[in-house]
Amino acid sequence: MTETQWNGTVLYLLGIVQAIFVVVNANVWWSLGTNPRMLMVGVQPFCTELRELSPGQIRACQNHHDHMPSVGRGARLGITECQTQFKNRRWNCTTIEDDRTVFGPVIQIASREAAFMHSILAAGVVSAIARSCRDGELSSCHCSKALRPKELVRDWIWGGCGDNIQYGYKFGSYFVDLREKDKNHPRLSPELSRMLMNLHNNEAGRRAVYNYANVACKCHGVSGSCSLKTCWQALPPFKDVGKRLKDRYDGAVEVKFNKRGTRLIRRKRRFNKPTQDDLLYVNTSPDYCVANSTTGSLGTVGRECNRLSEGMDGCRLMCCGRGYNTFKRKLVERCQCKFHWCCYVKCRTCERIVDINSCK
Amino acid sequence: MAGVVLENLSWKKLIILSLILLMLLITFFLIGGLQAPQPNNVNIIIGTKCYARGRYVNREKWHIPRGNKSISCEKLDSLRPDDPKIISQEITDKQVVFAFWIPGPRDGQELKMHPRFQYMMSVLQLDIIYQPHNPVGLNPVMLLDFRLGYRNEGDREGDWKLLAESAEDRKLVCTISTNEKNETEPGSQYDCELLHAFEISSLHHDYYLLNLRLPPSPEKNINIGQIDDISLVTIHQNGGFTIIWFSIKTFMFPCVLIVLVWFWKRIQQMCRPPNLLERTLFALGITMSILNLPIEWLTFWLNIPFMLLLNDIRQGAFYAMLLSFWIIFTGEHIMDQTERNRLKLYWKHLTAVIVGCVCLFVFEMCERGMQLKNPFYSIWSSEIGSKLALAFIILAAVAATAYFLFLCVMIYRVFRNISAKKSSLPSMSHMRKKYYMGLIFRFKFLMLLTLFFFFIISQLSEGQWKWGDENLNLEYSSAFFTGVYGLWNVYIFGLLSLYAPSHKTASSAHADTDSQEEEVQLTNMPSELSTLQSFATKADQD
Repeated sequence: MTETQWNGTVLYLLGIVQAIFVVVNANVWWSLGTNPRMLMVGVQPFCTELRELSPGQIRACQNHHDHMPSVGRGARLGITECQTQFKNRRWNCTTIEDDRTVFGPVIQIASREAAFMHSILAAGVVSAIARSCRDGELSSCHCSKALRPKELVRDWIWGGCGDNIQYGYKFGSYFVDLREKDKNHPRLSPELSRMLMNLHNNEAGRRAVYNYANVACKCHGVSGSCSLKTCWQALPPFKDVGKRLKDRYDGAVEVKFNKRGTRLIRRKRRFNKPTQDDLLYVNTSPDYCVANSTTGSLGTVGRECNRLSEGMDGCRLMCCGRGYNTFKRKLVERCQCKFHWCCYVKCRTCERIVDINSCK
Repeated sequence: MAGVVLENLSWKKLIILSLILLMLLITFFLIGGLQAPQPNNVNIIIGTKCYARGRYVNREKWHIPRGNKSISCEKLDSLRPDDPKIISQEITDKQVVFAFWIPGPRDGQELKMHPRFQYMMSVLQLDIIYQPHNPVGLNPVMLLDFRLGYRNEGDREGDWKLLAESAEDRKLVCTISTNEKNETEPGSQYDCELLHAFEISSLHHDYYLLNLRLPPSPEKNINIGQIDDISLVTIHQNGGFTIIWFSIKTFMFPCVLIVLVWFWKRIQQMCRPPNLLERTLFALGITMSILNLPIEWLTFWLNIPFMLLLNDIRQGAFYAMLLSFWIIFTGEHIMDQTERNRLKLYWKHLTAVIVGCVCLFVFEMCERGMQLKNPFYSIWSSEIGSKLALAFIILAAVAATAYFLFLCVMIYRVFRNISAKKSSLPSMSHMRKKYYMGLIFRFKFLMLLTLFFFFIISQLSEGQWKWGDENLNLEYSSAFFTGVYGLWNVYIFGLLSLYAPSHKTASSAHADTDSQEEEVQLTNMPSELSTLQSFATKADQD
């Protein structure tokens, strides 16, 4: 056996080991958000083919086949919003192509960032399901709460159809949390702490949608007075949800096991007790300044930064003191447009040269 | 009104009657809370963004959001200027139509509207995105070109018929939040006030289709920002609630009517013409019966668009009568020396009621009356209209305040006289004592009853809007509506039965002419003794 052959075999074996590792660890439902099949309308993938799902979720998928595109859309929504919220941070929610976990090994660390990811993905699902439910795409959004009729049309005439957000919340809790509830973990084990953390953060994300739904009302009593008033809950814009969760991320609570190793409690007693809306994390975040393949940090080399800003997007903080390069870039833009409320606008194209700073 | 049933009823009978009425009241609440669904249902429909090909726009063409390819409209995914389809087709704002099919589908099935829904009103909710180069101006005016059509199930697909069309102005009022640095992030959403879309008070077709255009115009539809989506929020009454509501009416109508007839027969048996209070009470019973009359059942088979207006008028008439009744009742119990029993004396107080009601009626006719002709009409959308509407409402509020002050002054006078009478009671003759005691009892009883009812209503209306009590299987707002309706019925029922002239005094009056004479005298009651007494108490107070 020559040296190259040997090397090849080792690599091959390593590959298998890695593949097994990925398969075991990476049944993450949110990769549905990057699965191109999910984004195509009308194409219903078979649940068992979706290796992204945990065994429990596969069963759920079989029962609620038509919900899966919405789940995928919700994950997509969460990922996009994460990237806008973290645009100016060292960790910027980068998705890695061809990676089953979507975000790379970073998500395996029980850090603030993982907490935020879980919450925003769960929130995305609630939003997307509620929206699909309203648009009538799903085959099982319950109609009224009224107990009597049990058939769609009679249900509709008797008590109407509403409360899509509630359904989104319920289905979201059921489906997303299934992944965590699939296995039992021993006390004090890191898996258990991770599971508890994920469950809590998922719930926090859903609450950021559910509890902050905009309530609008219309009065329509005698002469339009408020003797008769109807109120409804409208889905909050997902940008607001993202903003809210970003605030929770900034105030996330570090937790550890209690003495019995069954529950998570705050690590520092100075801080307030975490509520159900707060995000929890167990481990400190890895260093996002330099690339590290074990932690999955991508580093900030090459990231664009703002020379004048003192904040996180400023070059001083973003580049972690390594300094930055400045170069010029030609931007081709549409300019002198007259905008209407929508649609095509006649513009000129202008060229502009801007300074771009990027981290060394 | 000498000697009413209330005074001559034994305590035992009174308690039994009260308990029956209380049980009835509780039943009303429970029916609403446990049997009925919530009173109204809300549907939120996101407008499908359709576009018409070509430069020339045909306004008559229906744009249909769903259905098979040859019929449904050509859709746009986004209205942003950078959308590839917008750029490649050079689609302008003139070509875009927002299409809403009411109701939306559910569980993959097409739902239908139903006459049981009674009415439908709708508002538009605009999702406007902030973009630095295209912000929303200060309260710009929008021009909305509405076309509402309908189709029934058997009709050919795509065969929509016109129900109403109109181009309306609406003022757009939006706010947006800013971040710590007091700047708005591009892409965040404006918080805009809801815009009135339409109101129809008869749902006799299966499907409705709304086409909405925002045509370009020199002054309107500019500076309204970048519109991402328009949703239509429709509100209609729930079928289950309608059934239960009508059933309550159907049940209460004969009940109140029977008592009313009995009440009138009692008065006829008296050998005198009915006095003012009796006539007022009778009129109150009549308005209640008119309100109870369940003609709404007809809407299940007939298309009666004015039903909503009629219901509002019936309700208004009842409340006006109730307010008048309270004034007259209090006035007739003042127990001073003025000869009352004439409607003329109450002209000041009744004017307040009439002015208030006329104002509301005119307003109602301007809003709902006009909506019969043009469902998209809203008095609030035009500058003059909203000022006029506000003027009417302020006038009505002034009248209501005046009424309330009058009533308070009257009640104060009654209580002052009651305390004066109470101190002089022991020195009165037996008949007179009984008369005054009865009068005081009657007044206090009604006062307590009314306050008790108001207490219940205020307690209920507070908790009407609570979110998230999922475990409680009680429809709170339905219970509130059926409860309050039942409350007034029970109230009127109780008044008619308890304040009807008593049989006992009537028969004794027949037997003894002397006492009848005295009674007549008592009713008119110019009494020197009481005048003296009141002077005495006044002196004491001084």
